[in-house]
Amino acid sequence: MKKVRHFGILTLGLALFATACSGGGNSGAPAASGGSSAPASSAASPSGSESTLPEVTLTWYYGVTQVSPDQQLIEDEVNKIIKPKINATVKLKPIDFGSYTTKLNTASAAGEEFDLVWTANWAFNYDENVKKGAFLPLDELIDQYAPVTKETIPQFTWDATKHQGEIYAVPNYQTMISRYGFNVIKEYADKYGLDPSKVKSFEDLEPFLEQIKQNEPGIIPFMLVGPLTKFHQFLYGYDDFGVKLDDETFKVNFIESSPEYKQFAELMHRWFEKGYINEDASTVKQIDSSHNGKFAVSIEYTMKPGYEAEIKAKNGGRDIIGIPLTDVTTTRTSNIATLTAISRTSKNPERAMMLLELVNTDRELFNLLSFGLEGKHHEKLSDNVVKTNPNGGYVASNWVFGNVFNGYLIEGQAEDTWEVTKKLNESAFVQPTFGFNFDDTAVKAENANLAAIRAEYEPLLLTGTVDTNEYLPQYLDKLKKAGMDKVHAELQRQLDAWVAENKK
Amino acid sequence: MNASGLHISRTGNAMIHLFFILLSIVIIAPFLLIVSVSLTDEKALVEFGYSFVPAKFSTIAYEFILQSPGALLRAYGNTIFITAIGSVLSLLLTSMVAYAISRRDYGLRVPLTVYVFFTMLFSGGLVPFYILMTQYLHLKDSLWAIILPSLLSPFYVLIMKGFMGKIPHELIESAKVDGASEWRIFFRMILPLSTPALATLGLFIAFNYWNEWFNALLFIDNDKLVPLQLLLVRIMNTLDFLRNNSAYIQGLGLDMSQLPNESMRMALVILVAGPMMFIFPFFQKYFVQGMTVGSLKG
Repeated sequence: MKKVRHFGILTLGLALFATACSGGGNSGAPAASGGSSAPASSAASPSGSESTLPEVTLTWYYGVTQVSPDQQLIEDEVNKIIKPKINATVKLKPIDFGSYTTKLNTASAAGEEFDLVWTANWAFNYDENVKKGAFLPLDELIDQYAPVTKETIPQFTWDATKHQGEIYAVPNYQTMISRYGFNVIKEYADKYGLDPSKVKSFEDLEPFLEQIKQNEPGIIPFMLVGPLTKFHQFLYGYDDFGVKLDDETFKVNFIESSPEYKQFAELMHRWFEKGYINEDASTVKQIDSSHNGKFAVSIEYTMKPGYEAEIKAKNGGRDIIGIPLTDVTTTRTSNIATLTAISRTSKNPERAMMLLELVNTDRELFNLLSFGLEGKHHEKLSDNVVKTNPNGGYVASNWVFGNVFNGYLIEGQAEDTWEVTKKLNESAFVQPTFGFNFDDTAVKAENANLAAIRAEYEPLLLTGTVDTNEYLPQYLDKLKKAGMDKVHAELQRQLDAWVAENKK
Repeated sequence: MNASGLHISRTGNAMIHLFFILLSIVIIAPFLLIVSVSLTDEKALVEFGYSFVPAKFSTIAYEFILQSPGALLRAYGNTIFITAIGSVLSLLLTSMVAYAISRRDYGLRVPLTVYVFFTMLFSGGLVPFYILMTQYLHLKDSLWAIILPSLLSPFYVLIMKGFMGKIPHELIESAKVDGASEWRIFFRMILPLSTPALATLGLFIAFNYWNEWFNALLFIDNDKLVPLQLLLVRIMNTLDFLRNNSAYIQGLGLDMSQLPNESMRMALVILVAGPMMFIFPFFQKYFVQGMTVGSLKG
């Protein structure tokens, strides 16, 4: 029975090995292997000329709301288009947005091989991963393999992607502007004779809110959503870093202690006391079903062309009027809201860049990725406009792939939406400090504390829920104690260095 | 009642009943709400919000999900496979390790126990774990990636060791004198004697496998291999994530209608959790039986 005993020792050994690795639920035994191995890109040195390109497989991770049943079908169709052009096939790896950050952070830290990867400032964070060295610097690749894409996207957008002077991702060109203002339900504006052209500030809206309060029971005059309610410093002549727009010395201001901030908080508190603002403003996370269509005015941050039609559903299906308070501006944040990077583990960065150029220039390919197949996943209403079929078996968001201006419009958007948006993008007011990016490594702990304090006080103060006289001094005091001055000093130092380099 | 020494007054009895009735209501009410929401027309939901009685009755959410039940059925299949294979293998390995380190006449007993215990305190961390699984074991996109990591839990091994340590050593010795091999002793004597512990741990392990989704999230890309809980987690997580980041997403124009609506999500919860809830009470009977049988013998 020697054999049996050996088997026993082996099994026990295996078991021990498995325990050894299983602290906190991590383990592995080498015996069993049931799956296919990770997709391997065939390693071959790519050459510049198209005729001699060896065949490669590229892997592309991107975010979706839901993985679609027809994914494989789309991948096959995509490969039919790109194979003859760049002699590559692509393995599409859509991951739901909820898992995307965890999954990609792990895969990227583990050095897994993939080529293209979608990144943003709100998921699989772009800045963090650039600093970690997860992406390849792209300047040369873009110049060589993606000249059209480079041309199409405005310079300031490229500037926004730069880290220490180098580009690490290709922006998916879309609406890059932000414009702050009010959404007013048209029905009420008409009924009470509100003239949108006369509203230039918060104060101008007050009589209208009073009328709603008196005459429309059950309707909240001014709907605020806690985490989304910010002090919009651009409206008061400050840029994102608290520098006065016309300040040649680029002095960073302590926004929370500015008179404008205090005035705004006081106004909100007065409105709250008068009952204009919803009582749960500080805790509501978004305008969801419980508030849908039950308010007269709300705040909008991105008043892009045609947005009124897009958010109609949020307002109980009623028409709205957008009243902008600021000029069209562009912030770094809105420029890096969706990008595609090339992983440092990519074996074929050249080919990956070629694919990116193709997606950003080939309308057929872009529309296939974004809207699926005609007749099955979408219906064409006209040459340029499609009606998507949510139950057709394929859904994706056009802005995760590339330049949305190359793609179809969705039912309800005006025919000239893309032209107007493009013009707005190009005419947007570029803030003087645009392109500067604060590196908070030196003050990381302080910054985290400040963020926690802000998250605690801002929703209370800026929705007017609490008394400004009592809470604002408390808030300022806490900010100071948490190291506000140190962070400002560091910010000022970096900004001065940046100004010296870029503003001559 | 009066005859027994355990007399409980009428009011006391009523109080106890009341307490447990209230407790049950607190537990059952949210569940009933989910059932109700899943049966409410989406438009009525937007208009009137949640209520225990559907404002407008509709089974469209179920109809829609059951129209193409492929994904759901496959997920059920995957989860059942993982739970069945995982539980059996895990129980076998756990009891084997525990038995070895519970034997008083085994020389390496102490160092091995420390070795097992050590893994409870320290782990390699997520990234090394991921590298091991994907680059050395090549387990990406395989159901084994979900089964293997929790095959042996040191905590369960130590519980099992505690139980097996109480089995009299003389039993083993007498079996040996009668000429039984180690394998025979383990499978014919030790395992039957450990039934109560096996039943308890088996239930824990099966639950762990049934509810497992994090490893699946990390290692499963292929949509055909997604287990049940991940199916649910994905939808709920994505929705939460998008809500919390709405400040950034607003500008992108994400079409929220791509996500399942409220009543459909609740219907999915019912379809995922429902069957288990009906099955569990039946298993519980045997579970309790197993425990008492053990204690009587002991």
